[in-house]
Amino acid sequence: MPTIEISKKDLEKLLGKKLSEEELKEKAALFVKGEIEAIENDAIKIELKDTTRPDLWSVEGIARELAGLYGIQKGLPKFKVYKSNVCVQVDPKLKGIRPKGAYAIAKGIKVTERLLEQLIQLQEKLCETFGRKRREVAIGIFDYDKVEGNLRYYAAKPETEFVPLGFSEKMSLKEILAKHPKGIEYGKLLEGKQRFPLLVDSNNEVLSMPPIINSEYSGKVTTETKNLFVDVTGFDQELINMALEIVCAALHDRGARIESVTVNYGEEKIVTPEFKARKIKVPLKLIERTIGESIAANKLKRFIEMKRMNCTLKKNCIIAEYPSYRADVLHPIDVVEDVLIAMDYNSITPEAVKLPCTGSELAERKTCNAVREVCIGMQLQEVLTFTLTSKEKQQAKMLLPEQEFVELENPLSGEYAVFRKSIVPELLDFLAKNKHCEYPQKIFEVGKVVHLNEKKETKVDERNVVCIALSGKEAGFNEIKAHLDALCKALSWRYEIKRAEHSSFKSGFCAMIKIGEKLGVIGEINENVLKNFGLKMPVAVLEVEL
Amino acid sequence: MEEIAKALSEIEVKALQALNANAKLSENDIAEKASMNIDSVRRALAWLKEKGLANVYEKEVSIYELTEKGKDVVERGLPEERLIFALKKLGGKAKIADILKEGSLSNEELNVALGKARRYNLAAFNENKELELTGLEELILKKELAEQKLVERIKQHGLENIEDCKAVNEFLKRGLIERRSKIIMQAEINERGKQALKIALQAGRRVYNLAVEVPPIYIGKKQPYARFLDEIRRKLIVMGFKEMESPLIVQEFYNFDVLFQPQNHPAREWASTFRLKKPKYGSLPAKKVVNAVKAAHENGAGTGSRGWRYKWSIKQAKRLMPAAHGTAHSARQLIKGIEVPGKYFSLARCYRPDKPDKTHLMEFNQLEGIIAAELNFKHLLGVLKQFAEEIAGAEKVRFYPDYYPFTEPSVQLSAKHPELGWIEFGGAGLFRPEMLEPLGIECNVLAWGLGIDRLAMFKLGIEDMRELFSSDLEWLRKEPLVVL
Repeated sequence: MPTIEISKKDLEKLLGKKLSEEELKEKAALFVKGEIEAIENDAIKIELKDTTRPDLWSVEGIARELAGLYGIQKGLPKFKVYKSNVCVQVDPKLKGIRPKGAYAIAKGIKVTERLLEQLIQLQEKLCETFGRKRREVAIGIFDYDKVEGNLRYYAAKPETEFVPLGFSEKMSLKEILAKHPKGIEYGKLLEGKQRFPLLVDSNNEVLSMPPIINSEYSGKVTTETKNLFVDVTGFDQELINMALEIVCAALHDRGARIESVTVNYGEEKIVTPEFKARKIKVPLKLIERTIGESIAANKLKRFIEMKRMNCTLKKNCIIAEYPSYRADVLHPIDVVEDVLIAMDYNSITPEAVKLPCTGSELAERKTCNAVREVCIGMQLQEVLTFTLTSKEKQQAKMLLPEQEFVELENPLSGEYAVFRKSIVPELLDFLAKNKHCEYPQKIFEVGKVVHLNEKKETKVDERNVVCIALSGKEAGFNEIKAHLDALCKALSWRYEIKRAEHSSFKSGFCAMIKIGEKLGVIGEINENVLKNFGLKMPVAVLEVEL
Repeated sequence: MEEIAKALSEIEVKALQALNANAKLSENDIAEKASMNIDSVRRALAWLKEKGLANVYEKEVSIYELTEKGKDVVERGLPEERLIFALKKLGGKAKIADILKEGSLSNEELNVALGKARRYNLAAFNENKELELTGLEELILKKELAEQKLVERIKQHGLENIEDCKAVNEFLKRGLIERRSKIIMQAEINERGKQALKIALQAGRRVYNLAVEVPPIYIGKKQPYARFLDEIRRKLIVMGFKEMESPLIVQEFYNFDVLFQPQNHPAREWASTFRLKKPKYGSLPAKKVVNAVKAAHENGAGTGSRGWRYKWSIKQAKRLMPAAHGTAHSARQLIKGIEVPGKYFSLARCYRPDKPDKTHLMEFNQLEGIIAAELNFKHLLGVLKQFAEEIAGAEKVRFYPDYYPFTEPSVQLSAKHPELGWIEFGGAGLFRPEMLEPLGIECNVLAWGLGIDRLAMFKLGIEDMRELFSSDLEWLRKEPLVVL
């Protein structure tokens, strides 16, 4: 969800209409699925929620959409494209490196600071979010007056040199990847390649090394620049064409004359940008079924045109014609949502749902809740701890031998790196944080523990357990056994306990619990474990599966 | 008087009885005579004093304690004793070095012992620089010295009431004992007390003093956040929802793929969700289902959609992760099978790599729900409104167009709470056809995920989200129950 900054005056100028703050927040923003985060003087910070509508990630795109809302323009936006004679020859050896390109020329534009800001912002958001951090889409914008003749996009040798943007010395492509900040940041996109993509003009002057960096010579666009050359590279022609069209549409709306470029793949030649609208058939039934009412044909047409699409009415359906950069339109349902947005969600009357359904809780929940009820009856305080924890707490402090845990690949810290296999250490940690509180302290938790288990669908076994911890001068085996006994009696469970040795427990004061198939442990925590947790009072615990 | 007398507690009556038979008594005497513990005596005396039924005095008394040196003397004897006994054993005269060894005396002890020997003329140095008994040592051998008597008394009876013994001052000086002063209570019954006791004994049955301070009871109770979640769960069940299974660990397949979220979607990236290192891959449901999901991603699977047009990887779909949202459980439920019409919910533990702070938790709970029935967008708004009103107590709602990869149309719900003002309460929508049709589900499915943690914080009166999992026992013990 990109957040962009735009100028209110700029927006109003492009739109041709003034907007109050209220209007902006409660009507205009909704129309573009935006949320205004802040308005400070002229600066509007807006979050655009639709990650599949990159055409809205600039002030020009927003103004274009809002023109439909306010009836300033309607239907499909028109973009006139002039043909240029410029051709970009694409090297087939780029296959597997970065094989596709799309290009355009924008002439006669007045490059203002504001336009520059918007252009850089749009380019950045397109590359980062829509272009998956330049992997799928990388965009370069150049001073066209410095570009000569036809261009060549080819797989260059690593020794090839040029002066990268922001530098004054020539560097080889290899050096750029190793030393230039952008080379370091995006170098992994070219990792392991023997040759690197390079765009040059007919004088062999380098424009850019996609997707890394432009040249200092032509890749610097300033308010002095009059004519622009746009280069988009990637792997999927459709995706990069979309990105190119979005940039060109913005420049077009600023008054640029857009000229197309021929991309020559050898056997195949294409012309970009095309701005060829797509059509989609939307059954009336789908509209009615989704919205919950049938909408009169003329109204439907108006709503669709408001959302900058053309609409042709047929007997059982409509044909919506939408701009090719609308990456979000996959299915007719996407047009239906646009109709709803044009209708305004808040003008639709919510309808109550009346269905003959009976509620129920999970069987495991019933057991857990019964156990909780008994624990509370025994005057224990329920606590809640996290399921993510540290190996240190679960293993080392408990004096347990090395063992395997269900472990995160990308933890934020060692403190929350594994799933707990037992709640006992978590309750000991809890007690350690409350040494200043009045004793005796009697607590419990019912929750999940997670073990590795090859047989399960997720290779883990998630089990509910109850864990009780008693701490105070009197806390000992006798008292904790009394709790086990009371718990089992209250729930009509037969339990067995069998003497056992466990490295966290005092020798001779530890036993295994068996309740049917369910296992557990009960006993007095030994001195060394208490010391590891910084506990001074004796602690007796039980933990058993539910 | 009558009222006071009848409200006398058991310990007050016992104390009065003890006092009635005697003159002034100390608190220890009362405890002994009335077989009460000292705390009860003190409490009773304080009450009796306040009610004017006894005259209570405070007296300063001395209490004595043995020092480390003193304890040593009690155990091993006085140094002068040990000197004389050693000398006797060595044949009545000996060199200092030998005496030190025989009597295991330190130099300091030797000095004290020699001083005493000189004072009582028990031993003296001869011309050979040997210490020699004078013949008067019988006094010490028979244990007749005052010092010896005091040690004996301490051994037998402890340090109580030793102030009258002769050697006490000397022991203090020698640093064998220490003196502290302490306030004890003494009391005598007065006329009112006698009268009250008489009434109390005649009445036989006493009435309770309503003003008595009672000790605290720490009741067993639910963790407040857990209790909040229980209440929400109960409300949903009442509203006719069935609880779905909600495991902590899921395959990416359920968390993303079934939900028509393309595999190269930014939300699937490293920094936005956790992955497991161990175990890494889980298994998938029936091939038919997997292939249908794959087709939806790659080409729309004949649903009328263009699909995401990329090569779908089964390996990535098997990747295991802690559930990032409750919708993963709805996805699983849809595959497992649903009733139509059917209402399902889960109150699921979810995980996101957010550094825990005042407004974020790495583990949180999400209220997820679906309704499968021939319902539409208007009904979705109706359900959301009902939730906002019944669960959040909202007085107004507002709907905002929103985007989720798995719903279309999508909506965000804002609710106006009487005290919190407008809050973002959750996201919702109708599941996409590309998601439902491959699973063979023909009706619409309304779906939503509500963030309830902020509401919980408000209801529980806490300002830091981490306190939902509070580790403060004091707070847990004292926090009153919150009735939703």
